[in-house]
Amino acid sequence: MTAKRFRLLVIGLLAGGVWWGTTPAQAAKIRIVTTFTDLADFARALGGDKVEVNSLATGVEDSHGVPMKPSYVPMMNRADLLILVGLGCEHAFLPALIEASKNPRIQTDRPGYIDASKGIIPLGVPKTTDHYAGDVHPYGNPHYMLDPVRAKTAIQNIYNALVEFAPQFQGEFKRNRDAYLGTLDAKIAGWKQEAKSLAGVKFITYHEEFEYFAKSFGMEVFGTVELRPGIDPSPRHIEELIAGMKAEHVPIVVREPQFPERVPKRIAEETGATLVTLPIMPGGVPNTETYIKMLDYSIHTLVTAVQNRK
Amino acid sequence: MKRVPVSILIFGVSVLSTAPGFAQTLEDRIKILEDALKKQEETIREQKALIEELKTEMKQMQPPAPQAAAPPSEIPPPAGPAPTASALDQMQEKVQQLEDKVGEVVEAQKKDVVGIFNPAIGLVTETIFSYRSKGQQQTGSDRLGGWDVNLRTAELNLAGSVDPYARAYAVINASADAATGEATASVEEAAIQTTSLPWNLTLKAGRFFGEFGRLAYIHDHELPFVNRPLVLDEYIGGESRTDGAQLNYLFPIPHYVSLTAGVGDGFGSPQNNPGNFRGFGGLNFWGRASTYFDLTPDVSFEPGVSFLWNPTTLDRGGVLVQPDGSTLTERERRLLGTDLYLRYYPLRNNQFQSLTWGTEFLYSDNLYDVTAPDGSMSRNFIGSYGLYSYLAYKFHRQWTAGFLFQWLQNAQNKHDQTFSYSPYITWALSHWNQLRLQYTYTTHNAVSGLRDDNAVYLQWAWIIGSHAHGWQER
Repeated sequence: MTAKRFRLLVIGLLAGGVWWGTTPAQAAKIRIVTTFTDLADFARALGGDKVEVNSLATGVEDSHGVPMKPSYVPMMNRADLLILVGLGCEHAFLPALIEASKNPRIQTDRPGYIDASKGIIPLGVPKTTDHYAGDVHPYGNPHYMLDPVRAKTAIQNIYNALVEFAPQFQGEFKRNRDAYLGTLDAKIAGWKQEAKSLAGVKFITYHEEFEYFAKSFGMEVFGTVELRPGIDPSPRHIEELIAGMKAEHVPIVVREPQFPERVPKRIAEETGATLVTLPIMPGGVPNTETYIKMLDYSIHTLVTAVQNRK
Repeated sequence: MKRVPVSILIFGVSVLSTAPGFAQTLEDRIKILEDALKKQEETIREQKALIEELKTEMKQMQPPAPQAAAPPSEIPPPAGPAPTASALDQMQEKVQQLEDKVGEVVEAQKKDVVGIFNPAIGLVTETIFSYRSKGQQQTGSDRLGGWDVNLRTAELNLAGSVDPYARAYAVINASADAATGEATASVEEAAIQTTSLPWNLTLKAGRFFGEFGRLAYIHDHELPFVNRPLVLDEYIGGESRTDGAQLNYLFPIPHYVSLTAGVGDGFGSPQNNPGNFRGFGGLNFWGRASTYFDLTPDVSFEPGVSFLWNPTTLDRGGVLVQPDGSTLTERERRLLGTDLYLRYYPLRNNQFQSLTWGTEFLYSDNLYDVTAPDGSMSRNFIGSYGLYSYLAYKFHRQWTAGFLFQWLQNAQNKHDQTFSYSPYITWALSHWNQLRLQYTYTTHNAVSGLRDDNAVYLQWAWIIGSHAHGWQER
């Protein structure tokens, strides 16, 4: 390539980039980036055709293992709103991505930085953040989105953010929110009814991701495969867990799909418990593309597992 | 020509002066904290009022005082069971527990004012136990041969926001001296980085590791193997430390393209020797362009190209005596590099499995004043190549196995070549505690006069306190 053609190419790229970069965001749809797929589902439901939503996670990832892909950076660079679960859930990947995005609107605590956990009273606030306790979340367990009642707080936070950003569409956002919440409330009532057989049922999980889910549906988390949050189990821990499950007749082993099956499967076999795989966000397993479908799947799977044991 | 750099400076200052100013004061920050505390106290007052209301209702629910017994026929049947004294006691106990918890929350909100302003603080320490089969003089290493224990890193990291417009960090490191074993603390990095510049720009200034290639600006304990690649040690001088400023630009297009350009005093080691006056050519200039491709959702490719130019090296490294008796004095420094990073990082279970191939290929082309053994003098560019390439396979959450290949031509004599082969295995007990065992076979050709060497390293690195996941960890 000659020097002249190279200069023309660079000028063309820059000109196109300037055009792409300076197109007013509000002239088109509101560009929303969410960290996880449940937030994306809510944003689409509330925003309707006024929003363009992208999620960093696809649904199959561990919430602490979303990769820091440079391909996310241009998308975040152009975002009007960044919506996150908060409570430190995204600490492993989001701060560096926000910095790399060079988008002043979505820097921490800026108007475009939407922490969906605002107003959530967390469970499991640690007494210490010393690493002997593992990779604890200093603000409490961040996996509140698996409780549909608490998820409504996140929905309200998303609604507030949309209204603040685009008040001219408040009426439409409100109709969408009310419609979605109406659907969700009806589903919650149905899930509570369906989950009556889960009351008091004990189960273990790989990571402490189902604390809020258990509380919401009357179940009891007996323990985790992990020795501590983020710390792989030792052989002794596995043996103690198996012994405890046998003594307490714990019937269910929940494996989140981003963790390997080997250890949960062994625990289930040695204790006689039923192994089930439950997603932690929409898209984690097939046919769970929306938040409601995800909880439909999880509750139905658990209820079926418990009933099959009787 | 001298007006050019001055005009660039003036332009840069005028550009930056149009950006949001840095005007927030300490008083503003205290005001924000006070407002937040007032809101907390208001919430607590509301909760206490609710508790008082509940207590009043409870008192009203207490059973009425006993009355004279009426004839049985006049006493209507009870509508339902009246609250018993024990049930009321339980309720009162629960209310008291609630009051206690509210009180704990109120106390928890009261924080030590001094502690509120602490930045994130973390300490990284790294010790390397090693055995080398040849002595220091035979290997050219800065560490002695035989059995060695090296406190290579005791690094205090501090990071925090300066104001809404910038963040800053510092790395204070103490490495044990090879000869005396004493660890002397020094400032390895101390830099400020903007967070709100317009036009997709980020400016970093202070002391930092300049962005060249992929591993030159990675701290030792973060390397994917034990030792920094030979080519980076030889051509850059270890880490790419500089005192300067670096501007990064993200192309405003849907595809990730990043451009970095920097200027600084020194880049790696050894430092320049400016004497009484440093001209503009005595500064170092560097840059990097990189892009990224998602080949599949699980496979990515990230290539980059870098350059480093020091027009007038000002006697960097002093007079270098060559094996043939000639001497070299560096006059100009030029370095080009290509870095390639191919990664299999499955979205679903990347904590348990991944495969990484990383390679950097460098070309050094420095200008030297050459004094031959017969006294004749000349000025020549001497070109040399070097590369490292590694493959790392993570097959368990805690375990990664890898292999590192290195090839290096001496920067002053391309006929002096070194090859190195290093299999290694890493055991990460947790995110903050890691052991690595590495074997390295290093072979030189006869030109260097050095001997082949077998070395075994056991590296133990640990972290306490805060630890951020930086962009270089991607």
